Amino acid sequence: MENFKEIINFIAAPQIMFTALLAVFFFIFPPTDWLYSINRKLGLHKLWTKGGGIFLLVVTLGFFIFGLTDENFRLIVTKADNVPIVGLLFLVIFLLWLCLFQAENNDKRIAEGKGPMEAEDAKEKVLVWPDLVYIELIALVIVSALTLIWAISLPAPLEGPANPTVSPNPSKAPWYFLGLQEMLVYFDPWIAGVLFPTVIIIGFMAIPFIDNNPKGSGYYTFKERKMAISIFLFLWLLLWLFLIMTGTFLRGPNWNFFGPFEYWDIHKVEVLTNINLSELVYMIWQNKALPDNIFIREMYGFAALGIYFGLLPLILAKTVFRKVYDSLGPFRYSVFIVLLLLAVSLPIKMFLRWGFNIKYIVAIPEFFLNI
Amino acid sequence: MSTPKPQTEQSTERRTFIKWFAIGWAAFAAIVGGYATLILRYLFPNVLFEPKQSFRAGATNEYALGEVSERFKDKHGVWIVRDQEKIYALATVCTHLGCTPNWFPNENKFKCPCHGSGFYTTGVNFEGPAPRPLERYKIALNDDGEIIIDKTKKFQQEKGEWSDPDSFLLV
Amino acid sequence: MLEKFKQTQFYRAIFRTGGAPIATHKQRILVTLNNVFLHLHPVRIPKHAVKIKYTWCMGGLSFFVFLVLTVTGILLMFYYRPTIEYAYGDVIDMKEQVPLGLMREIHRWNAHLMVITVWLHMFRVFMTGSYKPPREFNWMVGVVLLILTMLLSFTGYLLPWDQLAIWAITVGSNMAGATPMVGAAGPGSSLLAIGDVNFVHSASDARFVMLGGRFVGEGALLRFYVLHCIALPFVIMIFMIVHFWRIRKDGGISGPT
Repeated sequence: MENFKEIINFIAAPQIMFTALLAVFFFIFPPTDWLYSINRKLGLHKLWTKGGGIFLLVVTLGFFIFGLTDENFRLIVTKADNVPIVGLLFLVIFLLWLCLFQAENNDKRIAEGKGPMEAEDAKEKVLVWPDLVYIELIALVIVSALTLIWAISLPAPLEGPANPTVSPNPSKAPWYFLGLQEMLVYFDPWIAGVLFPTVIIIGFMAIPFIDNNPKGSGYYTFKERKMAISIFLFLWLLLWLFLIMTGTFLRGPNWNFFGPFEYWDIHKVEVLTNINLSELVYMIWQNKALPDNIFIREMYGFAALGIYFGLLPLILAKTVFRKVYDSLGPFRYSVFIVLLLLAVSLPIKMFLRWGFNIKYIVAIPEFFLNI
Repeated sequence: MSTPKPQTEQSTERRTFIKWFAIGWAAFAAIVGGYATLILRYLFPNVLFEPKQSFRAGATNEYALGEVSERFKDKHGVWIVRDQEKIYALATVCTHLGCTPNWFPNENKFKCPCHGSGFYTTGVNFEGPAPRPLERYKIALNDDGEIIIDKTKKFQQEKGEWSDPDSFLLV
Repeated sequence: MLEKFKQTQFYRAIFRTGGAPIATHKQRILVTLNNVFLHLHPVRIPKHAVKIKYTWCMGGLSFFVFLVLTVTGILLMFYYRPTIEYAYGDVIDMKEQVPLGLMREIHRWNAHLMVITVWLHMFRVFMTGSYKPPREFNWMVGVVLLILTMLLSFTGYLLPWDQLAIWAITVGSNMAGATPMVGAAGPGSSLLAIGDVNFVHSASDARFVMLGGRFVGEGALLRFYVLHCIALPFVIMIFMIVHFWRIRKDGGISGPT
């Protein structure tokens, strides 16, 4: 049993967990026809059947119940402010299953020429009073009862009075911002705290104008909008929820990583010695001192950024995203690709950190400009 | 409309209309701009009721060689460090996001609880996400030989300000 | 008894439909049409729109939870003074000195719940492709509502004035200080200077506007309190009106055409 916990602790580390999830992600949620056919061959779509649903439930619930037997695990998941996140986790898994279950069903029906289930339902009209109003009333009563029970059984957290000179260890933002706080490990505050939130907002608002696929409006489907759903789930599940879960459950004192069954030891030492790209190029590869001129010092970083945001979109437009480019046109494609590349820069930076200890691609602390 | 006016009269009319139109819009823009400035400026009060920014920190011989003194951490947010040749005052504000790091004497480093930044006793960052070293405050002796620390003046290593004679005290 | 009451002038004065038993199709329609609250809804809707497996009910619940938060929030304001001196003690008293002191619990857990329901509503809207024409604008309004929800929750986080609160807000507000150009610790801010005079410093930047001070203190508590209790609820209500109105104008809940 202890060995099993050790293994879980080991693979829960973001380096391993994130890499593993990323490796299987696009097979489970295939964005292209080719990956879709592989998904079918491997039978991964069976996750979205009733049997698959039971499997997901047994695995997640089983892991959770098993975890509760461990003191460290219990301590972290029953912390008052963490309870909603546990709830969110189960809800998201269930709802993900629910929508993809219906999507699979609809895809099958559409292939048979029958149209989605919702279209069948929509033929019939019902009156708002009483049909909808009563459903709303029942939902309200259930939720009110639930929050009342929640409020009685779980006191709202209140720590010691505010003390500006002592930071609690660890200090965490409200849970819904922990994704951003986790990004702060890899990016400077102006990127993780200002640029990324802005880009997320703009990106979200741009979705209806970027996704110009007329199909799949008003019913669940996967096959008709593979690319859109795959990218969205990648952002929502891997780059947002996964980071929140990591930040909430697996970050302990000094923002060190702790496995779900690991004791939060304040004195755990983790080597975090990182270097900048300029230092790597000049001092380690070329064995020279850093040049004094900022632009010469950082030119490799600027070149990397230039290639990433300047050249790569052009290459992608000619290759992988050829169809996307053709349907979106130059302006919308530029918006789409810049947003996507910004999002993908997060995992890239994570891997650069884990693989090469890279801290900054461009480091100009003189002007607080670090990328 | 019924009787067409002579050409010249009509164009004068149009000119006056455009003139008033422009004046109207300019006035509107000025009012909106004025209010915006007013609101923005309103958000910055002239007087801040914040604690005093300088304090006395005792005599130099109260600090042992190689010691990181936490005496004024809680009250003023300052560590006073004495090394081989000088005394300096480090701000207890992490340069990453402003948390207060903790001093770990056994590991000989400052470690920030928020995101794991680590700093040497000099204040130079060596691990974690902090982009630059801790800031140092102005430190001087008054006429009575007491150390005065002035938190309004900061010295940043990356700007080469730590060589400024105000940023340390030779002992 | 009830039937008799329904025949009174008083009852009929309130309910425009009158007291007759609602049995016919026409009367059911009139219930919706004759009620200012119910008439947020259309009269007739396609059947898939009443299926929980399609709607997940998350949008409606978000609104309901918002109403609960408004009521409990107003009640909490009766016992709370937004100053450093009193805030923490008042929050303790809310539990210790008020009979059935559950109000803060209900408020806090509903606040968490609202963030969750708004996220899940967005998740559902994406998965059903409901942002597609003609609903693009309403999706954008929805994004604004999402931001406002998180801002409301964030500003409320400071008010108990405990360790959890000030450090979460310290970290959050320091990010604002890192805004390019207008934050004192953001890239480019040192470029906005003439000689030795910096225009953007810790008492004149984006973070200062938020906190009303150079650190999380008295000014920040008051500003967050006002934002949390008045400014942001006011703004979010305006956007909610637009959101609900556009749902109707865009043809009700999305569905296959």
